[in-house]
Amino acid sequence: MIKVDRVCKRYKEDEYALIDCSLEIDRGEFVFVVGASGSGKSTLLRLLLREERPDSGQVWVAGKELSSMPGWKVPFFRRNIGAIFQDFRLLPNKTVFDNVAFALEVIGKSKRHISTQVPQMLELVGLHDKQERLPDELSGGEQQRVAIARAFINRPLILLADEPTGNLDPENSWSVMGLLERINRTGTTVLMATHDVGIVDSMRRRVIELDHGQIKRDQTRGVYGLGQQTS
Amino acid sequence: MAISLEYVVKETSGNLWRNRLMSLAAILTISVSLALAGASLLLKQGVSTATSQWKGGVQLLIFMQPNATSSQTKAVSSQLNSLPEIKSYFYMDQSRSYQEFKQLMANSPDLLKSVTESQIPPSFRVVLKNPNDAPSVGSLFQQQIGVKDVNFNRGAINTMLHVTSIVQFVIVALAAVLLVSASVLILNVIRVAIFSRRREVAVMKLVGATNWFIRIPFMLEGMVQGLVGAIVAAAAVIGIQSLFEYVVSHFQVTVLSNFLVSSHDVFMTELFVVFMGIIVGTAGSAFAVRRYLEV
Repeated sequence: MIKVDRVCKRYKEDEYALIDCSLEIDRGEFVFVVGASGSGKSTLLRLLLREERPDSGQVWVAGKELSSMPGWKVPFFRRNIGAIFQDFRLLPNKTVFDNVAFALEVIGKSKRHISTQVPQMLELVGLHDKQERLPDELSGGEQQRVAIARAFINRPLILLADEPTGNLDPENSWSVMGLLERINRTGTTVLMATHDVGIVDSMRRRVIELDHGQIKRDQTRGVYGLGQQTS
Repeated sequence: MAISLEYVVKETSGNLWRNRLMSLAAILTISVSLALAGASLLLKQGVSTATSQWKGGVQLLIFMQPNATSSQTKAVSSQLNSLPEIKSYFYMDQSRSYQEFKQLMANSPDLLKSVTESQIPPSFRVVLKNPNDAPSVGSLFQQQIGVKDVNFNRGAINTMLHVTSIVQFVIVALAAVLLVSASVLILNVIRVAIFSRRREVAVMKLVGATNWFIRIPFMLEGMVQGLVGAIVAAAAVIGIQSLFEYVVSHFQVTVLSNFLVSSHDVFMTELFVVFMGIIVGTAGSAFAVRRYLEV
């Protein structure tokens, strides 16, 4: 589903964000990417979304090679990828319903399709009774669930999550993680960059640790902490 | 992928309303510049109508004495026939000349009353093969018996053409400067619109909206501003034109009637104005979209 092959990426002349990274993730996996700030987690996610191109190496996502993909194909590629972020990226002047509907609207889906799909998805994330609220009127956890509804409404093959619990208290973090697990169980590959030790340690999923742009550890059923690696 | 009309209309009008003051500034600048450009085009048309009447018509007037004998008149006529420089000519007799005089002087009844038909000089209206020959041909008749005066309009026409070409150049230059500034204003309006909607744009990119889907509302916004400005300008041009026609017909300013342009000319000018408005608006917004909307 995802294959990163000897990828290098640098933003400045002598500052590498990723050095010779290779990894493979299968369909339906749930993977944590951990590492300190600046270790390259975000760069990795940006490469997978094709917001950046690698300086060398290849990035395969959902059967497509991204470094050679022409720009006009990128929007169509992104429709197969869901993405959520620490800052939710909701539109503040749109209601919950409209925020989710927006994702369908801008790819040209019909009104009928939107009016059946959006309530279903809001039901799934447990916000069907808050459709007409504005993002400001929701808690952080609820806002992230709206973002998940928007990311998942096109039933993407892959869900990328960049520190989705970074702004949330533990309780809300767990409700978001529960949702991501459910999405994962539908067969969607989930790749989540995180700093949250508690979540990583208790979920015991595959953990990829990045350190200064290099993969330091790739462990099935891993934990967050350094020095605890057992694989 | 279909872009729904409803979406585009909603986005474009929303953007225009959000930046209404800036949009108004851009629209007004376009209006003023295009109205100037349109008026200058009509002026050009008018001058060419007026001068073409001279050119295709009379370049040399030979006025006979009101009491010239018919043999004197015949002598002039036969000399005109023999000159190779003459293309054609016709003779305005006293009664027709008087009619024309009455028309020209309709505003001055006192003058009209003081002149009788017998005092009006009949004239030969001469068309030359080369208008520049007017002075030399005219001088042949200056001293002829029975000839009162010789008049050629070459100098007057030259002066008029010269003055109008200068006036026109100034107007066109001014209009061009204003059009460029209108374009820049639109560019800025669209830049502000893009900036104020950067969150939406980011989300659109994230969920896979195509580049054109993101661009089109911004492009249309600029185009609509150009179009609205052009329509205002077109209305102004029609206004100026009808005011001119009113002045000419109401106050019987016959001199100016030479400058009246046909409705076809007005229509073509309006078409040009609207076309330019769309071009300027679209160019400004296209540049802004290219420059500031990274998709």
